Amino acid sequence: MYKNKKSGILGIILTIIILIMLVILTNIENSNLSYIENVASKLVVPIQNGLTYLKNKINGNSTFFTDINDLKDENKQLKEKNSQLEQSLRELENIKTENETLKEYLSLTEKFSKYETIPGYVVNRDISNYSRTIVISIGKKDGVEEKMPVISDKGLVGHIISVDDNTSKVQTIIDSGSSVSSLMSTTRDSIVCKGTLESTSSLRAMYIPTNTTIIQGDSIETSGIGGIYPKGIHIGTVEKVVNTNNNIDRYAVIKTAVDFDKLETVLVIKNK
Amino acid sequence: MPNIFVILVLFIALFTNRTLGVTYGVILGILLDLFIGKKIGITAIMLGAIGIIGSIFDKNFSKDSRITMMIMVMVSTIIYEVGMYFINYIIFSINVEIFEFIKILLVEVLYNIIITIIIYPLLQKAGYYIENKYKENKILTRYF
Repeated sequence: MYKNKKSGILGIILTIIILIMLVILTNIENSNLSYIENVASKLVVPIQNGLTYLKNKINGNSTFFTDINDLKDENKQLKEKNSQLEQSLRELENIKTENETLKEYLSLTEKFSKYETIPGYVVNRDISNYSRTIVISIGKKDGVEEKMPVISDKGLVGHIISVDDNTSKVQTIIDSGSSVSSLMSTTRDSIVCKGTLESTSSLRAMYIPTNTTIIQGDSIETSGIGGIYPKGIHIGTVEKVVNTNNNIDRYAVIKTAVDFDKLETVLVIKNK
Repeated sequence: MPNIFVILVLFIALFTNRTLGVTYGVILGILLDLFIGKKIGITAIMLGAIGIIGSIFDKNFSKDSRITMMIMVMVSTIIYEVGMYFINYIIFSINVEIFEFIKILLVEVLYNIIITIIIYPLLQKAGYYIENKYKENKILTRYF
């Protein structure tokens, strides 16, 4: 009886404590309990994920066999569409490059509008290490003849040395066998620019008059002497002057305006 | 840039006979001149000369050794380029720039030698196959 009475009181006290605890716990802010939630979710979520994955797999498998034919059809259609798109892309690229080339031609023709010109592009370069001739895509059919000067948008390229029906060979000014009679634009002194083996972007200006001073960066243009090149075509600029013991055999290095390694489009001047 | 035409003509002359070597050299030279040359005939003459030189080499040296092959390619490249430069000098009166010329020539020779080293096994195999077809009774004079 005593025992029962005691345990009854203990039960009541315990119940009260538990109830108070419950009241406290429910009144505590969630954030303070989040670590318990974290632990719980960490334990449960992987299992849940695994189960969901399995469930999805099983569900998906039932539709897998029915969908495969649809997918095949769709793939076929997409492939066709893809090839069509690729083709149109290629066409667009072609049009783009053509547009660029035509623009280049147009600017060239405008720049040299005082001459009657024929546009063409470089189709072949010399294989030898010692000569620098190029083959261009226009020939007798287009009205090209021997000894016609060839220019590009930047300046002088060379002159035609031989022509056949569809192509012509051009001896560039950087060829070691080429010499161009030219003028220095400021002093108006006549010099001769010869091609060298040394580099593909420089010429050697020789026969410089002894009493003249050469200015670095001075522009060099054709003089019109010699009968091949018309007067006033830009050749390049003076890069440096090499002085020797006497003034007679000094020479200057001329940097060509045209980049011969990247030369693509040229114009052949028809009337001199 | 290497000059593979010299190697080709030399190879033909070495493994066939003089007539064929010279003929191939001249034909190849004329074609090259037609396509890109400044005057028709210069390359033809020099490649024809390489054909003759190749047949002289064939009589005097062994083709079994890689070193002799390399030396033959070296000598014929030098002869070809010097000849070309000389003829160009006479015809076009170009400026003589010996130092620059030698510099370019050395690079070219080096390239040609490297190509010879690489394709030597192929050259030898194909060469002896052709040689057996063209030269049935070959008289060996002397081999070094």
